[in-house]
Amino acid sequence: MSRGTLVYAAQRLVLITFTAIVVSSIVFIGIHQLPGNAIARERRINPATEAALLHHYHLDLPWPQQYALWLGGLVHGDLGESLVNEGTQITPLLLREAKTSVTLGLAAVAVTIIIGMSLGVLAAIRQNTWVDYVASTAAVVGYSVPSFVWAFLLIILTVTGFYAWSGGQIYEDIGWGKIEQIPVPAFALGLPYAAIVARLTRASMLETIRQDYVRTAWAKGLTARVVILRHALRNALIPVATILGPLITGIITGSVVIEFLFGIPGLGQEFVTSILSRDYNIVIGVFTFYAILIGLANLTVDLLYPVLDPRIRY
Amino acid sequence: MATVVPTALEMPEELQVVGAGEELPEQVTLWQDAWRRLTRNRMAVIGLFIIAIFVVTALVSFVWTPYPTWRQALGPTYQGPTLLHPFGLDDYGRDLLSRVMGGAAIALGVGVGASTLASTIGIVLGLVAGFYRGTIDWGISLLINISYGVPDLLIALILVVLIGRGIQNIILAISVTAWLGMARLVRGQTLALREREFVEAARSIGTKNLKILTRHILPNALGPIVVQATYLVPAAIIFEAFLSLLGLGIPPPAPSWGSMASEGYKALQIAPHIVLVPCLALSLTVLAFNWVGDGLRDAIDPRMRR
Repeated sequence: MSRGTLVYAAQRLVLITFTAIVVSSIVFIGIHQLPGNAIARERRINPATEAALLHHYHLDLPWPQQYALWLGGLVHGDLGESLVNEGTQITPLLLREAKTSVTLGLAAVAVTIIIGMSLGVLAAIRQNTWVDYVASTAAVVGYSVPSFVWAFLLIILTVTGFYAWSGGQIYEDIGWGKIEQIPVPAFALGLPYAAIVARLTRASMLETIRQDYVRTAWAKGLTARVVILRHALRNALIPVATILGPLITGIITGSVVIEFLFGIPGLGQEFVTSILSRDYNIVIGVFTFYAILIGLANLTVDLLYPVLDPRIRY
Repeated sequence: MATVVPTALEMPEELQVVGAGEELPEQVTLWQDAWRRLTRNRMAVIGLFIIAIFVVTALVSFVWTPYPTWRQALGPTYQGPTLLHPFGLDDYGRDLLSRVMGGAAIALGVGVGASTLASTIGIVLGLVAGFYRGTIDWGISLLINISYGVPDLLIALILVVLIGRGIQNIILAISVTAWLGMARLVRGQTLALREREFVEAARSIGTKNLKILTRHILPNALGPIVVQATYLVPAAIIFEAFLSLLGLGIPPPAPSWGSMASEGYKALQIAPHIVLVPCLALSLTVLAFNWVGDGLRDAIDPRMRR
């Protein structure tokens, strides 16, 4: 990693921090403009307790003061306390859940890249054959079937299907905590995006395999493996890498639904639970975490460019 | 392109006047040309056909469905497909065919509604930002950049909790983030178009800014706008299904495809048809819109002209 890259990464980290603060500030201020307060809404309590609770959460202060207090906590990495479960600190809770979400997200990205690129390369090197038609059709259909529909299909296939097929011997339980429970949600989440990657890889491969240097590589008598993977694919990947950023945002959005359906204790599920119980402190915290996660994912993608294309330098 | 140009050789010699036998080339506007190429695209035609069925189903469901979408206990709960109920019954014994028809109306309303609202906001603000630059442009660009860091589903979820779950509110919650993509597109187009000679010419004869925007810049940016607006429809339909799955969509007993799937999820192992029927309808609709969107993109983009 060159000096320039380090400077660039440092700048980006500052920018990510700034975005996270801006995003959570907007949500914070927006939510605190609402009439009523979280405590009064949740349960009937006597006025003295209510006043004490309001004081505990600083909700009795005017919002600019609350904001200053909250911002002070944020820069120390303290996102405050849950409004519903008193005493629960938000930062450690969300850190734990972020680990789960990132595991699921990375597995989904792996599915996306491996399946998407294989289909794309296969379709390109067998252009206009049945392989190409099947792969291209699968790509369009795959993209139009949303992640939750994939989830239902995969659950029917694995849970009901394996159970019937093995005569009741195998029962694949959905959920989280065991390693064999990762693939099904990861596939559901990754398949729609694998379709996009496949389409892009195919188009981009078709362009590169017609280039002179690829013809030279063939002429030198290199094996198909080396020509396709090392000469053609490497250059074909550059345009594909450009959509990785939006794709990761898409996977994170999709994971909200997938976590909810599979009961995976990640950030997405936490968000849905918290918004329904109006635990605004956690809601703001999840926004902050997502802003940081998306920022870091995009930074990783950008740092990948120079690896793929040495002409790009920061 | 059918252009009739009789050659000079076929004519009697005395009638030969230079240029006389040539008819004018057939006049084809950009949109006629695009339509012609769209209808030559097989996938796009199939897509248009599916969309037509979808729209007709949605319209018919307003006046007639085989059973009322909310009527329960029409037969045994979880009953599979039968002659009386071709798609089967759900967990309350409601007719799934009727409900899937009603769901088409909701999907059409949400999809077209959100696409129209988001496009309108996006076009107006994109034009203003790209044309006048300045503070408005700065503000909109900042919003666009921030929005990259936030999953739009979360914003929609917050809004739905705050403003309620009616169909108008769902459309609003989707449009609040969906307009940004359109604004970005229109802003980019406007930035490029405002430097073109025909805009300069219009300005030099004293055309008002508003007229330049609506008569010179907007029509020239319309191609990509139409494509983007087409893609917004399936995106909004999926988005509504996401909200419904999370229990924050249009409230029951409205037969939104997402809530139908969500209700059936509990019984996925014993009665998969409850989930599969709305999912199939949704996927087919989205697929059709994506095919038409792809077809439109290829038909309107002049570089794709063969």
